Amino acid sequence: MEYLELFLSFMKIGFTSFGGMSMIPLILEEMQTHRWMSAEDLTNLVAIAEMTPGPLGINCATFAGMQTAGVPGGIIAVTGVLMPAFTLTLLVAVFFTKFRKSRLMEKIMSYVKPICIAMILAVILTLSRENYITDGKPDLIGIGIGLGMLYLIQKRKWSVPKVIGCSAGLGVILYGMIFRMPVL
Amino acid sequence: METINRKNQNVKNGLLLFGFFFKIGCFTFGGGWSILAQMEQEFVNKKKWITKEELLDLTAVGKSVPGIMITNISMLFGYQIGGWFGGVCAVLGITCPAVLILSAVAYGYDSLKSNYWCHCALEGIRTAVVPIIGSAALSLGKEIFRTTKGRVVCGAAFLFCLFTDISNVVMVLIGIVAALLIPDGQIEKMKEKIKNAKEAAKHGVS
Repeated sequence: MEYLELFLSFMKIGFTSFGGMSMIPLILEEMQTHRWMSAEDLTNLVAIAEMTPGPLGINCATFAGMQTAGVPGGIIAVTGVLMPAFTLTLLVAVFFTKFRKSRLMEKIMSYVKPICIAMILAVILTLSRENYITDGKPDLIGIGIGLGMLYLIQKRKWSVPKVIGCSAGLGVILYGMIFRMPVL
Repeated sequence: METINRKNQNVKNGLLLFGFFFKIGCFTFGGGWSILAQMEQEFVNKKKWITKEELLDLTAVGKSVPGIMITNISMLFGYQIGGWFGGVCAVLGITCPAVLILSAVAYGYDSLKSNYWCHCALEGIRTAVVPIIGSAALSLGKEIFRTTKGRVVCGAAFLFCLFTDISNVVMVLIGIVAALLIPDGQIEKMKEKIKNAKEAAKHGVS
């Protein structure tokens, strides 16, 4: 039963997003309504999906499925998220020459894309609350590292794996060695 | 004889596609656009299976179908080369490495999380995730914020996200309905009207 729910959830995610980061808000919502995963796990999911090779959307779906129901869960989740490709896109491929002239899909996406961006912005607020505030107090070390990383990505054009490696190192040094974060 | 040859050719091409996309799935960081660049190199420049214009056409269509952009493009491309079998091979090729690699990661994830130093490292990485997502949103939004329609729709959707409990899926469905109902250029026209009304009000005051 859980497998079926997982499949349906990810099929829904696949059909209402366009891959990559636009899937994150939908995954977060599905994970929280089904109580499969916390916002903290979701943040780690983004980090892991970015650190591993391959398209982000596929990595996210696979890892989320695995956290929920093991390796079969991962395979089911990724199959769900691929459903648009196996149905709609295959159909489009068959009628490609006709479809190229139709502007309907393009028009639909011109509305869906800004909506997805808005959802990503809203998720950023949720995750910021989760990641930069601990026990009702702002986590100054975290905010500091975050701002540093923002600078590296935006101004120095660092690639994402490099940024993740750097933030991991800073985490070990600052949280682990200097401020001796308590073990949870 | 002809059909058998064709079938063999399709199977061969399918396996070739699977191999190529499997390789991409294993070694590509950074998603969609870098994969397209590799496709161009392999299939446009080296193998000459399709032209650059055809690849651009596929990309334009793949982007306008829901789902993960790069799997859509793989499907369209695979179909062109080897029918539906080719399409399925390409999509599976790009998916399999992720499943294998993430199985390994998920296996180690729980024990990693409980190790003190790994926990500290993850805590550091978590602070970087918001800037990463934010930058991705900015670069996605660049194209969209350029148009009035993009800005209006995005702003309205953001307010809905903050102040209502409408689920994300419903919001996307509303967007699709709006796309079907609102005629082209309507939002631009409304903006023009508001602007005119404002000007008129200004003149009225002064």
